[in-house]
Amino acid sequence: MGTTASQLGKDLLSEYQELTFLTKQEILLAHKRFTELLTKDEKDLPNTRVPAERILTLPELKSNPFRKRICHVFSTSEQKDGSLTFEDFLDLLSAFSDSATLEIKSHYAFRIFDFDDDGTLDCGDLEKLVNCLTGETDETRLTTEEMRQLINNILEESDIDKDGTVNLSEFQHVISRSPDFVSSFKIVL
Amino acid sequence: MVVCVKITVRAYLVILCVTEEQNLVKELVALSTQDRIWAIRDLPMSVDEKKHIRWVLTDKQLKVMSFVVSVILGTKLKVQCLFSQSFRRCGYNLRSARQTLELWQGIMKEIGGTFGTSVLSYFVFLKWLLMFNIFSFLVNFGFITIPLLVFDPSPNIPPNVSFRGLEILTGAGYFQYTIMYYGGYSNETLGGPVKYNMQLAYFFTIAIYMVLCGIALIFSMASSFKKNYVLADPSSNKAWQLLSSWDFSITNERAVRQRKNNLRESLSEKAQRRQLTLSEKLKHFGVYLGFWLLSTGLAVGCGASIYYLYAANWSLLQEAKTLLVPFVVSLMNLVVPLFYSLFNKFEHYSSQRRQIYALVVRNVLLKMSILAVLCYYWMNVVAKKFSCWESMVGQALYRLVIFDFLFLMLGSFFGEFLSNVIGTRLLPRLGVPEFDVARNVLELIYAQTLAWIGIYFSPLLPAIQIFKLFILFYIKKVSLMKNCQPPRRSGRAAQMQTIFIALLFFPYFVGSLSMVAYTAWRLTPSEQCGPFRGLNNTFSVVGVWIDDLGGIPGSQWVVWIYQNVIRTIHGIKNNSEDYLFILYLKL
Repeated sequence: MGTTASQLGKDLLSEYQELTFLTKQEILLAHKRFTELLTKDEKDLPNTRVPAERILTLPELKSNPFRKRICHVFSTSEQKDGSLTFEDFLDLLSAFSDSATLEIKSHYAFRIFDFDDDGTLDCGDLEKLVNCLTGETDETRLTTEEMRQLINNILEESDIDKDGTVNLSEFQHVISRSPDFVSSFKIVL
Repeated sequence: MVVCVKITVRAYLVILCVTEEQNLVKELVALSTQDRIWAIRDLPMSVDEKKHIRWVLTDKQLKVMSFVVSVILGTKLKVQCLFSQSFRRCGYNLRSARQTLELWQGIMKEIGGTFGTSVLSYFVFLKWLLMFNIFSFLVNFGFITIPLLVFDPSPNIPPNVSFRGLEILTGAGYFQYTIMYYGGYSNETLGGPVKYNMQLAYFFTIAIYMVLCGIALIFSMASSFKKNYVLADPSSNKAWQLLSSWDFSITNERAVRQRKNNLRESLSEKAQRRQLTLSEKLKHFGVYLGFWLLSTGLAVGCGASIYYLYAANWSLLQEAKTLLVPFVVSLMNLVVPLFYSLFNKFEHYSSQRRQIYALVVRNVLLKMSILAVLCYYWMNVVAKKFSCWESMVGQALYRLVIFDFLFLMLGSFFGEFLSNVIGTRLLPRLGVPEFDVARNVLELIYAQTLAWIGIYFSPLLPAIQIFKLFILFYIKKVSLMKNCQPPRRSGRAAQMQTIFIALLFFPYFVGSLSMVAYTAWRLTPSEQCGPFRGLNNTFSVVGVWIDDLGGIPGSQWVVWIYQNVIRTIHGIKNNSEDYLFILYLKL
């Protein structure tokens, strides 16, 4: 069951409304923006997969520091190359929408921050996270000493079972105490 | 050997997945249809996997129920299924219809993308207030003004008064005799096909409107509180809060870079914590105390000067005199908060949150003192001096609203444009200004308070408020885009929203409600004009109505409730006098 570029069937539309947090308007707008990314030949094929480079040309994702991780997390491709089908794209928008619950958002945030995809946030993940948010060049990064201190502070705050990593439930626990997370974890087309 | 192990491990994982899926399906089957749909939607899985779960469920459902359903319950269950499905479809359609009607969607997205969620919260608040005022205008216009217009379309204006342009500013003159103010409303029971009692209509419309406002505010506050309040330990969680509150909706390159820089600075500060010495703490305390005394003094001083301005006898033109007080009030509301922001720069607060709280409390103190002085003057002096005093108060409020609007426009000029010019050309050290969300939201709350106080004296004031808010949106948006830079720190948008709504409710709404209630309960309505002329106080309208109701069978319970309520209130009042007397004796 795929979607051709021309129209979204009514049944499919209502099914998407039930399975995601998006409204009809948002789904139709997503469909329109997604088909704009397709080339002429791809428009006739059902269930096309758009490579990550094209997805990242969307203005909503272009400047986001986590854009590559976002594409990777929501992609269902076997090669793990970050390419998205239309349904993956809807998943992305649903998790980042206004009405998504805290559990969904924190679940996906955890997966986005888990740079090595091993199911926990260890020191390497945390270091990459901080670097992502502070800057790519050497002048803007934290010094090694500052980084070490910061990661120690983070683990002290959130690592409850003291195993040196932050797992999903510890992450969700610490996120539930930041009220700004839900309103900042938002992407709207 | 290794291959065998790999295959066994993979098979084990597959079996594990299958059993997990079976557990999930078992849980979901037990729920009702609507709950099941919500539960599936809340699963952190891709759309594909959710479809698979649904297919498994439908399959299972059919297997379990096919025998029972098709044979025994057949048609009934099918109808039920169809009904609940169409109900759900209806709900989705409502949600998407509501989204199409949303005003300013594109502009809000542009603002959110460049400036982030905290600046966007100001515009969201403005839109919310606009909707509020549209509702209040419709209620008042529909129930109070339209019946009067239908019955008596031409206002009875004395022959020597004509419309000059100045009325728009002063609100007096021609407007005084129209439906704009309390005085233009009649106290009769309008005839026609349906008997419409203007007195009751006026009283109950305003009362029910205030109650509905209160309920709406309580609901917003509670939902905002529930969503955003967090039992946060202020000393911990700082690092995670910084990291997890990255604003994903920012799309502007420069804004992203600035946020990253600022985050880096905050993080390296966190990494090196510094304890303050005792002398530094004492110095900070002294500075705080000094500035708090100064700001309280300013607020009290402003209130006192307004009172003397009103009470003094200036030998000016009559119309210039009426314009002087609103001018001075709006000037104070513009200039003094700028001083408070300046004070903030000299005090060093340990956290941004305390800084914003201090600013907010000072501004509230200033505005409350000015409003309290104005209300006191109106209730005690104007009410006794003029014949049609409610219209006078209505006019004063109208002038305040108009001047507030003019000064808000000027404020965008002074606050943002001039700061931009100073920051870029004259003193580059200051830099381009940021949009001060707290100050602007407080201005909006003050403007709304004026509309609430004025609702009793000038029922069409919400119309002016709607016009004002509509224009203000565009002015602020243009000023923001041209003059301000995106905020460097990620503001605590969620908690600020809760605080603003709580502020709106507690001091401002309750204050205006008590003022309107005091007017209705204690003050004598004017003799010659308005819907309550000739009565002892406004509330006696209800007494008269209850007496009328007593004659109608079937409405005895209303009379009974009313009599008991009045008896209780009188009992409390009488007893309180006894208690106070005993207290006095003891002292």
